[in-house]
Amino acid sequence: MTSVGDRAESWRRLAMSVLLCLLYVFLYAPILFVIYASFSEDIVWPFPPSFTTDAYAELFDNSLYSDALNNSLIIGLGSGVLSTLLATAGVIGVLRFPSRRRALILITFLAPLFVAELLIGISSLAFNARLLGLPGNLFSAIAANAVEGTAFAFLIVLAQLVRYDWQMDDAAMVFGASPARCFWEVTLPTIWPSLFGAFLISFILAFNNLEISFYNLGAIPTLPSVAWGSLRFGLGPELFALAALTNGLVFAVFALMYVLMRTGIVKFGYRGV
Amino acid sequence: MLLLAGPGVLFILVTLLLPLLAIFMFSFWRTASYELYPDWNLDNYHVLFTEAAYRTFLLRSALSAVVTSLLCLLYAWPVAYFIARHGGRYRLLLVLLLAAPFFTGVILRIAALQGIFGPGGLINMALGIFGMPPIAALMYTPLAATIGHVYLFVPFMVTAIYLSLVNFNFDLLETAKINGAGPWRAFVEVTWPLNWIGTAIGLALVFIPCLASAVTPRFLGGPSATSFGMSLGQQFGETGTWALGSAMGVVLFAFSLLVLAVMGFTVNLKRSGFTGMGAR
Repeated sequence: MTSVGDRAESWRRLAMSVLLCLLYVFLYAPILFVIYASFSEDIVWPFPPSFTTDAYAELFDNSLYSDALNNSLIIGLGSGVLSTLLATAGVIGVLRFPSRRRALILITFLAPLFVAELLIGISSLAFNARLLGLPGNLFSAIAANAVEGTAFAFLIVLAQLVRYDWQMDDAAMVFGASPARCFWEVTLPTIWPSLFGAFLISFILAFNNLEISFYNLGAIPTLPSVAWGSLRFGLGPELFALAALTNGLVFAVFALMYVLMRTGIVKFGYRGV
Repeated sequence: MLLLAGPGVLFILVTLLLPLLAIFMFSFWRTASYELYPDWNLDNYHVLFTEAAYRTFLLRSALSAVVTSLLCLLYAWPVAYFIARHGGRYRLLLVLLLAAPFFTGVILRIAALQGIFGPGGLINMALGIFGMPPIAALMYTPLAATIGHVYLFVPFMVTAIYLSLVNFNFDLLETAKINGAGPWRAFVEVTWPLNWIGTAIGLALVFIPCLASAVTPRFLGGPSATSFGMSLGQQFGETGTWALGSAMGVVLFAFSLLVLAVMGFTVNLKRSGFTGMGAR
C-alpha cells in the first residue's frame, strides 16, 4: 500500500519538475534569441545564421546607449534602495508593534500591487505636469517606480518575516542592547536574504520599467524608452548587444550563487543541512 | 509603530493616492488643443459609455486578462509547489531564475517572441525547411498576444504562490494522510484553502497588468487587437486628450477594484493560514 503511494508521489514529483524545466525553457528561449540575434548580421531576418560583432562595436561608440544605461541604473538603484528601506521598516512596524490600525497600514503598503503600471505612469504624469508644473525628471521617475517597488518589497519581506522570532530581539534588549544595535547584530544577520531579494526585485522592476518611467521622464532616455523609440525604425542591434551583455552578467552572478549554495558557504536563509 | 511604518504609508499616499485623485478630478474637465480646462462636466464618461469602440476595447482586454490569469494559475501551481516543497537549499535560486528574464526589457522580450513566432521567425523557418506551411495562428493574432501575456506575467503568479507555500506547514498533509485522505482530497481540503490568499494575490498580479496591457497586443496582437491600455496611452500621447484619458484611467481603476472586491469576498481570514498575523 505504502509503496504504491510512494511511487505515485515520485511520479507527481517528476511531472512537476518537468513542468518547472519547461517553464524555464519558455522563459529563456526569447533571452537566448536576443543573445543569438545580437551576433547576427540581419536582425529582422536572422535565419539562416550569419555572424558579426558589429553591434557590440557600435554599442560602445554611441553615447546614447551609455546615457540610457546610466539613467536606468540610477532609477533602478534609487528606487531599489528607497523601496527596501520603506518596506522593511513597514514590515517590522506591522509585525513587531501590533495596533488597531495594522490592517489599514497593511492595505496601504500592498495597494500599489493592484494598480496597473500604466495607471501609475499616467496619473503621476498628470499630477506632476498639470498640478505641480514639474517637467519630466529622474526624481519623479524614481519616486513613481518606488511606489510599485515598495509594495513588492513589502510582500517579499513580510512573507519571510512572519516566521521571525522576535523573542531573540527581546533577549538582546534584556542584556542591554539598544534597539539599533539589536537590529544590526540580531535581526539583520537573520533576515538579510529577504532584504536582498526585495532589493533585487525592486531594482529589476525599476531598471527596466517602461510604462512608469516613460511618462515621468519626458525626453530623458532610459534603456526601455530608447527601445520604445527605436521600434518605429526597427530595433537597433546595439540594444540586443546590450541585453546580451546584461544577461551574461546575470548568469555569472547566478552561477556564483549556485556555487555558494552548493558548498554551503552562504546559505541565503536556508536553514536545513 | 508609526515611526517605522509611517514613512512608507506617507510615501504611498503622496505618490500613489494624490495622482489618482488628480486624474479623478481631470476626468471631469475638458481638453482643448492639448490644454486642460476646469469646466466640470460628464462628457468624457458620456463618450466612454456611448461609443462602441471603447466598450469593445474594455471587453477585449477583460477577456484577455481572464484567459491569461487562468492559464497562469494552472501552470504556476505545480511549479510553485515543486520549488517550495522540493527545492531544498536551491529554493531562492530557483525563484530568482524566474525573475532574471526581467533584466531584459519588456520590448526586447516581446521583439524576441516575435522573432520566434513571427513570419521570419525560428518556428516558421524550421517548418519551411521541412516544406511545411507557417503556423498562421501564431502570427499577429490574439493567441500570440495571450502567449506574450502568459510569458510576461506567469513569474508573478509562481512567486506569489511560492511565497504562500513557504509559510505553509506541509506536516498538515501527513496528518490528512494518516486520517485517510488521498492526495487529491488533501490538496482540495487543506493545501488549496490554506494558500488561497497567496493564490488570489497572484491572480490579481496577473489580471490587473494584463487588463491595462498596451505594449504586448500592439506588437503581437495584429491589426484588430487594440486594447483599452493602448487607447488609454494614446490619449496621453498622440492625441493629447488628457481629460478623456483620465476618465479611461478612472474606469480602468474602478474595473480593477470591482474584480478585487469580488475576490476579496472569497477570502476567509480565519482559514487563511497567515496565523502569525492574527496572534497577540
